[in-house]
Amino acid sequence: MTERFDESDESLSRRLAGLPRYAAPARLRVSIVEAASPAPRRPIWLSPLLAAAATTMVLALLVLPVLPRITPADPVQRYVRAVVSEHSRTLMWGARHGEILPTALPWLTEQSGIALPKVFVGDERLTFVAAEPVYLERQRGVAIHYRDVDGHMLTYIALPAPGLAVPDRARVPIGRWRPALLRDSGFASWVWKQGDVGCFIVSDMVSADDVERFKEYFTRIRSTTEPVPAH
Amino acid sequence: MADLDFQKQALAHLDALYNFAMYLSKRPSDADDLVQETYLRALRFSHRFQPGTHLRAWLFQILRNTFLTFYRVREREAPVAEDGVPEWDVPMFHHAPEDDGTAMDAHTDLERAMRRLPEEFRTVLLLAEVEGLPLEEVARVMACPVGTVKSRIFRAKERLRGMLTDYETK
Repeated sequence: MTERFDESDESLSRRLAGLPRYAAPARLRVSIVEAASPAPRRPIWLSPLLAAAATTMVLALLVLPVLPRITPADPVQRYVRAVVSEHSRTLMWGARHGEILPTALPWLTEQSGIALPKVFVGDERLTFVAAEPVYLERQRGVAIHYRDVDGHMLTYIALPAPGLAVPDRARVPIGRWRPALLRDSGFASWVWKQGDVGCFIVSDMVSADDVERFKEYFTRIRSTTEPVPAH
Repeated sequence: MADLDFQKQALAHLDALYNFAMYLSKRPSDADDLVQETYLRALRFSHRFQPGTHLRAWLFQILRNTFLTFYRVREREAPVAEDGVPEWDVPMFHHAPEDDGTAMDAHTDLERAMRRLPEEFRTVLLLAEVEGLPLEEVARVMACPVGTVKSRIFRAKERLRGMLTDYETK
């Protein structure tokens, strides 16, 4: 009994040892090696650098809004920036007190300190929109807004500016006048003086074609508008 | 992470582990997952391996523990047949990729009989008779005394003989 069992036990062991073997597929070895490989390490200096950059960015975002605005040292540029800001405000929110000239002139003269014995009230190309007093560069003045047939807004501003010197380098001859054409923040401005009154026309007409029309608009306004200090 | 030397030594046993996994899980896709998981664990915890001991037995032990962990999860979740034996068709790993279709085919009566053995009997036969591990190493893998290993081998063979006799008489 024992002999017969031992014999069959050995036989069974041989058969077990001869069981088919399954070899691992090649892709399995590859995937194991890939999974075991450490991820590429970032350079040791990268983390502090990124942290410093992030901190700087946050501080800049916090500090920038409270920094004082840089104002141009050039007086003409300061005026131009001021009238451009007024024009931008009009574009965004509209004129505050739209009135039809000339019914508004007495009130406008009283409020602005600028009298307009002659004023351009619009034609087939330029439509009068509104007139209102403004306060720019510590001076009261008057602003008159127009819209041309293509939808461009124009803002005419006149205010006392006895110390304003129109830069010769920017002057452009238009008929018998030589206003200066200055640009700021994507807007173009005609700048000239009539006596001690500084005059400006602001618009977004900056391309070469637009400037030609802008010259025409200057001529229309300049030839028919006469601002003088009221007092 | 394990060093390259340990990784190289461990990968030398890849075929043996895959063969063991195939007989345990019976599906190539499950065997793939089982072996890959075994290596990931082994390499992650390579510092626990004691140099000078049997690396192959250590890897077999991890593979079996991994198999039992997933097997028990599957056994809890899979529908159980009337005889209480879980269905082998259910993939062992729930995240297994698309199955390649068939489970491992049994080429011989011996393979069929091995497939029907309970896991603890199948494992001792695979380790001791197929892989040729010493009984002490088999005992370490199975986490039981050497006497228990001997007893299981004896009983496993008895069952195999009975099943083989049945196949011959049918």
